[in-house]
Amino acid sequence: LNPEIPEQSIALTDTVNITSPDMEAGPSSKRRAIPIHIKTLHTGVRGRARFHVNLVYRQVDFADDLVQQLTAIECVNRAQANPVTGSVLILFDPACSGQNVVALLKNAVRRTIRRATYTREALLKPRQVATAPGPDIREILGKLFEKSIPAARHKTRARRNAGPFAGVRWHTQSGATILDVIGTSPDSGLTAEEALRRLQRYGPNELPSLARRSDLEMLVEQFVSVPVGLLAASAVVSVATGGLMDAVVILSVVCINAGIGYVTEQQAERTIESLTKTAPRFARVVRNGGLREIPQADIVVGDLMKLNPGDFVPADARIIRAHRLTVDESALTGESLPVVKSSTFTGEDKTPLADRINMVHMGTMVTGGSGAAAVVATGEDTELGQIQTMVSATRPPETPMQQQLKHIGTQLAVVSSVICAGVFFLGLLRGQRFLQILKSSISLAVAAVPEGLPTVATTTLALGIRKMQHKNVSIRHLNAVETLGSVEVFCLDKTGTLTLNKMTVVALQVGDETVAISNDRFIIDGQVIDPGSRHEYRQLLQVISLCNEADFSNGAQTAKGSPTETALIELAQKGGVDVPALYQALPRLKIRYRAENRPYMYTCHRLSDSEQFVAVKGSPQQVLELCSYYYQDGELRPLDDAIRADIIAANDRMAGEALRVLGVACGEKALDCAEVHEGLTWLGMTGMIDPLRTGMADLIHTFHQAGIHTVMITGDQSATAYAIGKQLGLNRDKPLQILDSTRLDKLDPELLKGVIDNVHVFARVSPAHKLQIVQALQDSGKVVAMTGDGINDGPALKAADIGVAMGGASADVARSVSDVVLEDDNLHTMVTAVHQGRGIYNNIRKSIHYLISTNLSEIEIMLTGIGTGLGQPLNPMQLLWINLVTDIFPGLALSMEPPEPGLMNRPPRERDEKIVRRKDLLRMARESGIITAGSMAGYVYGWLRYGPGPQANTLAFNSVTLAQLFHAYACRSEHHSIYSEDKLPPNPWLTRAIGGSVALQLLAMFVPGIRNFLGATRIGLLDGAVIVAGASLPMLINEGIKQAGIRADQLMLDQDTGRDTQVFPDTTADNPREKRP
Amino acid sequence: VKANFVFTSESVTEGHPDKLCDQISDAIVDHFLAADPWSRIVAECAVANGVIFIAARFVSTASVDIPQVAREVIRQVGYSGEDFNANDCTILTNFTELAESERVAVDERELSSADHDRRTAKNHATVFGFACNQTRTMMPMPIWLAHQLAMRLSQVRKDEILSYLLPDATIQVAIEYRNRAPYRVHSMNLVASHRPLEEQALAAMRTDLIQHVFTPIFEREEVHFDTNTKIFINPEGPFIGGGPAVHSGLTGRKTAADLYGQYCRPSGSALSGKDPARIDRTGTYIARYAARNIVAAGLAEQCEVQLSYTIGQAQPVSIQVESYGTGKVDDDELAKRIKQHLDFRPSAVIAQFNLRHQKEISGEGFYRKLAAYGQVGRADLDLPWERTDKADLLR
Repeated sequence: LNPEIPEQSIALTDTVNITSPDMEAGPSSKRRAIPIHIKTLHTGVRGRARFHVNLVYRQVDFADDLVQQLTAIECVNRAQANPVTGSVLILFDPACSGQNVVALLKNAVRRTIRRATYTREALLKPRQVATAPGPDIREILGKLFEKSIPAARHKTRARRNAGPFAGVRWHTQSGATILDVIGTSPDSGLTAEEALRRLQRYGPNELPSLARRSDLEMLVEQFVSVPVGLLAASAVVSVATGGLMDAVVILSVVCINAGIGYVTEQQAERTIESLTKTAPRFARVVRNGGLREIPQADIVVGDLMKLNPGDFVPADARIIRAHRLTVDESALTGESLPVVKSSTFTGEDKTPLADRINMVHMGTMVTGGSGAAAVVATGEDTELGQIQTMVSATRPPETPMQQQLKHIGTQLAVVSSVICAGVFFLGLLRGQRFLQILKSSISLAVAAVPEGLPTVATTTLALGIRKMQHKNVSIRHLNAVETLGSVEVFCLDKTGTLTLNKMTVVALQVGDETVAISNDRFIIDGQVIDPGSRHEYRQLLQVISLCNEADFSNGAQTAKGSPTETALIELAQKGGVDVPALYQALPRLKIRYRAENRPYMYTCHRLSDSEQFVAVKGSPQQVLELCSYYYQDGELRPLDDAIRADIIAANDRMAGEALRVLGVACGEKALDCAEVHEGLTWLGMTGMIDPLRTGMADLIHTFHQAGIHTVMITGDQSATAYAIGKQLGLNRDKPLQILDSTRLDKLDPELLKGVIDNVHVFARVSPAHKLQIVQALQDSGKVVAMTGDGINDGPALKAADIGVAMGGASADVARSVSDVVLEDDNLHTMVTAVHQGRGIYNNIRKSIHYLISTNLSEIEIMLTGIGTGLGQPLNPMQLLWINLVTDIFPGLALSMEPPEPGLMNRPPRERDEKIVRRKDLLRMARESGIITAGSMAGYVYGWLRYGPGPQANTLAFNSVTLAQLFHAYACRSEHHSIYSEDKLPPNPWLTRAIGGSVALQLLAMFVPGIRNFLGATRIGLLDGAVIVAGASLPMLINEGIKQAGIRADQLMLDQDTGRDTQVFPDTTADNPREKRP
Repeated sequence: VKANFVFTSESVTEGHPDKLCDQISDAIVDHFLAADPWSRIVAECAVANGVIFIAARFVSTASVDIPQVAREVIRQVGYSGEDFNANDCTILTNFTELAESERVAVDERELSSADHDRRTAKNHATVFGFACNQTRTMMPMPIWLAHQLAMRLSQVRKDEILSYLLPDATIQVAIEYRNRAPYRVHSMNLVASHRPLEEQALAAMRTDLIQHVFTPIFEREEVHFDTNTKIFINPEGPFIGGGPAVHSGLTGRKTAADLYGQYCRPSGSALSGKDPARIDRTGTYIARYAARNIVAAGLAEQCEVQLSYTIGQAQPVSIQVESYGTGKVDDDELAKRIKQHLDFRPSAVIAQFNLRHQKEISGEGFYRKLAAYGQVGRADLDLPWERTDKADLLR
């Protein structure tokens, strides 16, 4: 025996915090705690112990790695880990203490998790690791009530031929060896024939995709569910008791329900499926010695790929050539910063995936540099493919809301089942007939189980996505819709989002004259001048045309190039310069770009056989230092210190107006002159601006109204950033806070997290540091949305809870990692997106509220009736009818409510807020209680008048049906009641649903055939009045209580106007230092 | 004050985080006044963990790139290490614009006497000015020596005489007084940051500092240190690195070093980061001017001038002189004379010292230079409040 190891099963619980990569391009890089459960199973033999480790269960790779970790420990002789059972057997040196073994095992598990090689997503999915020891009653019940999904949901594709070189450790081989092994040439690549042969043999480069459920499958699923099972049981009981017609009715209820479920689910499925579809991507490979673009699916092992920024790596490949190649591997390794790749590195067997810098992997993204790589694995054989195959998680993951709803649904199902059983036994005790009460209980269960909760959510989300598409908002993930509604911080990229990313020259400084450029005119002190008539102006315009990188080839009339360069060309053209002619007259000899130590650019142009013209533009201070002369009133004069100071002052003034200022100079030098940029002539300065898009300040205000904090991210200097921040009103009425940093990565993340709440502008930020900003905001507990359009923005967009890509201008990468695409390239559309996101979330809430509260009322009525000895207020048929008539259509109609007014004047919901809050449950209980009271009053009235039997049932039946239908109106809003002064926008769907349902109910009451089925009787006038009263009074009372609550809230708000809807507390207001005069 | 006692004062170099903040605050004032002399600006600065926080409230026609100003100060002070340098440090700014009406509407230099009367103090403030004949700058000996040593320390660092020194240092000087006159140096404490040093160099540091810092300064002073004088150099062990990466700093925390090293009653509020419209700053200057002229006139060996301003009045409501029994005439008489010959009204002070246009007179960075090594009693700067041009009138 091992006395040291306690025999009874001890559960050792621990957690490891890691940063997880998320395979789905949803919110990623969240830190998660992974629970470790170690249970001692068997320690009977000395030197031998068996444990259960939750993480080993169904994790082949983890088991392997754990064994390696364990065998590396000195006193462990042998170790085995079984991924089928999750058990770990350790044979250890008997000298080693037993308690130690548990500790050793724990540490080994921790080490295994931490190992960078282990980046399997499966481990990181909480639902996979939460296999707590011992059966969980909730889980079992949950499985019972959850719609059973046929095991064949994922079509098992015929396993294609395993890749040609499966198992080769590519990263340990030199590039030349690999080229040899895969049989390809580093220059000419594969031949087309060979590529085709390989494609046919090994299959396309595709990952297993989600097989779509067939229509039939979906239809069959409608019938394979717990409520349908209950109904079938009910039908059997009916047949047994001779009620054949009852059985027929029950079956038709089943069919109608299934039909509706089928139609809505089919539509939702189609919408969701369309999200995962991506346009076919292309890759550039070398074949037959030539570069060609082929669909990514056609890539085969041996292909030589070219990699450029913005490319998605289509397959696993060994790098052959790399020039400053950097790759974002966060999808695979969770490493958020781009990794520098090298062709010369050779790894070892156990080099972790993240450190295999001589490899590129499928699913990662090139962020910089260029390179070439030889494909070594495609499709399922890639690292990504293996992960996907292992977890077989090609199905889109459930959104947090769906998970919550499933949970609530399960809980409610348990509660309802218990109550139904209670009703059954109570009825028996009360002496009701066995079969009668059995049928009633089963029917009650059918009516009361809220089976449709997750479906309602999915359907509503899908409908919302389609609606948003019409409004130019493309949603790329199902859960983005609900996240949109909870966005608390919106990070805005200045260039291209707030501005047009189009520079315009608005001011010139020539000599001591300040020129404003407006509507193509040059204006000095209100006087329009002709720049062509003055030598120094002509000269300046010519120099900015000559010293320019814009492409003017092919005789085009408009230039192509960076915004700055084209803005200068446009100015020259406005000033009457014929740019193409100028280029011909002065052909360019040399161009020197701006560099680290040279903040200006210059070009040399041939003037004559012996002379050249030098054109310079760049940072005003530095350009001025190159100059010895300047123009004053058309005359060339030497520069002195006073004039230099004046020029610098003018530069400061222009910079202070948020202009981007460039100094311009020129000179004529001998052709063989080496020092061409000395003793030049100062011509002046241009000031340009990237104008804000129209209406941006209003837009920012709208976000603030909606309780969303706005943050601007810009590469500008603080002075410019301040001017723009003020113009936009980013600070509302608080001091404008600017964080000015070129090296955010060096800043202590804790510190950044601490200050970030109040920052309005990040200045001098390079795009690569946007990720730090997003993560710091998230760490401070905020839900972050972020705009971006460039390749550099990829990681930040991905990390953000909502990555927003601007439709037109965005790089493919930005688009593909974003959650939301604004197709019309207009930031105003984002308001629509948030508005819709909040509306959809609320609508789901409304449907759920309706479904749960009405189901509760049915249970309560039955329970009260039977419990008080008043008999069964509703018969089984009536219960089924209520389930059919009152549940489905009003529930669906509520999910199509137009967004409530004032939705954008309220703060976003809390990140962790449950979809059904405690106060919602209380409201449901209260409302259902009042409905029950109303209906029971009707029933008691009938009972007293007619005695127990059909007449009393009819009264209860009609009261409750109508009361539930009326209740749908109460569910439309928690901020409005029927007594509110401002009315909600009409919802025609609801009107139709309620009208139709009421008509159906009337039909049932007045058509004798149906009435008899339902076990109802004719209704007299007085009875009718009782029914109307019993149905409408509860609604009037419920709405009255709600109105009182709304008023109380408003009163509190009025008394406390200082604390309005600000999400970010104004800390400075409490600072006495600020109060000084 | 007793006849025999020991008094200590402290000064810090320009690289000390508190002083760095003072200099950034005053450099911001300089930039605003240079571009728009009628700016209102209050700039406060804190530095912690290598991050700089600047809160500025202003109204001005000038547009100042405040983080850029701060970076320039950091660069000039000499921080270039990996942990904290001008280019990489993060700067968080908090800007509030004051109402346009707060901007100064007139040129104080062109005001009549009646106009000066109408431009009253906007705060209650009591300020003190001091002067004594202990040194040629009429400063108390302990703070004067501490400043001289601190300046010298920066000098040998910048001239690379002792290239291992880093910008951050503190120096404390204790002077023994006999018969109210400085008699000898009691002890000195120098905490100087430096680069990591080898054992040998570390041992040589003491001799280096005595040779290159202490000896040159005391050669030109009247008091000297002797073999009994205790000189502490980095008494708590080597001070590697230093600066904002190690300890934090805040504007206005070195007011004793800005003024008289606690030798007289302190004026309380900070001076740096305030434009001349703040009476607590300008009042301190005119009080020093008054005290210095009294001593220069030979009316007292040492004297302290107290001015109390209240809201709504241009003249101080109280002008007091304390000569500690050294006065040739009665203290009340001294007070009467300075009241008669000096103009203490806020806008008149701005006008006579030309506080808004010092850029044209003294060149760049007038206030920034004041922010290190003392706002008063500077031998290296020609400060308007150090002139003794009223001495004859007072006599």
